[in-house]
Amino acid sequence: MVTREMDHAAEKAPGRAWMLGVAAWAVPGLGHLLQGKWARALLLGGVVWVMFFVGLAFGGHLFRVGSNDQGFSAILQLLPMSANFGAGLLYIGCWLTNTGFAEQAQRITYEYGNTFLLVAGLLNYLAMLDAFDLAAGRKQ
Amino acid sequence: MRHVLWMTLFASLTAVVFGVVAKGSDRQRLIYGVKVFAEFMVIAFILGWILYFLPLP
Repeated sequence: MVTREMDHAAEKAPGRAWMLGVAAWAVPGLGHLLQGKWARALLLGGVVWVMFFVGLAFGGHLFRVGSNDQGFSAILQLLPMSANFGAGLLYIGCWLTNTGFAEQAQRITYEYGNTFLLVAGLLNYLAMLDAFDLAAGRKQ
Repeated sequence: MRHVLWMTLFASLTAVVFGVVAKGSDRQRLIYGVKVFAEFMVIAFILGWILYFLPLP
């Protein structure tokens, strides 16, 4: 019953909603901005951008699955990497420029930085779902 | 003291997002955001005091 309702709701979601969801993931705040939700875009996007750059400034490091990671080690990297990946193009930009992947464990703010970076990505997933729901008319 | 500031920054930023994406009227969401912030802070202080008394090396 619930599955049928969810399938029905997914069918009703227009293509525009999916595109805005992707935009919201790629550039934090953009999904709401394109819908004219300025305040939400400023608050949600602003928080994600601030948390991401504060995390980098604190010496936190981004996670990725490298060629050295095999088996269980790769799985351990996969979860935090998927959280970091939520920051969208911010993460991809860092990955392309190899920024923020070096561990700086000697810094006192290192763990804070990691936490800020992880949570920035996770919060952007929430913002992405919010933008999708608004565009699909599931939320006012 | 700086640790408290960073923790407060983290709690306030996270509470903003939780408050914005929540359902309900503006007032209800504002109250929810404030509650999330307060819960972060209270739980962090409680855990901090518990850890303070643990004989960790």
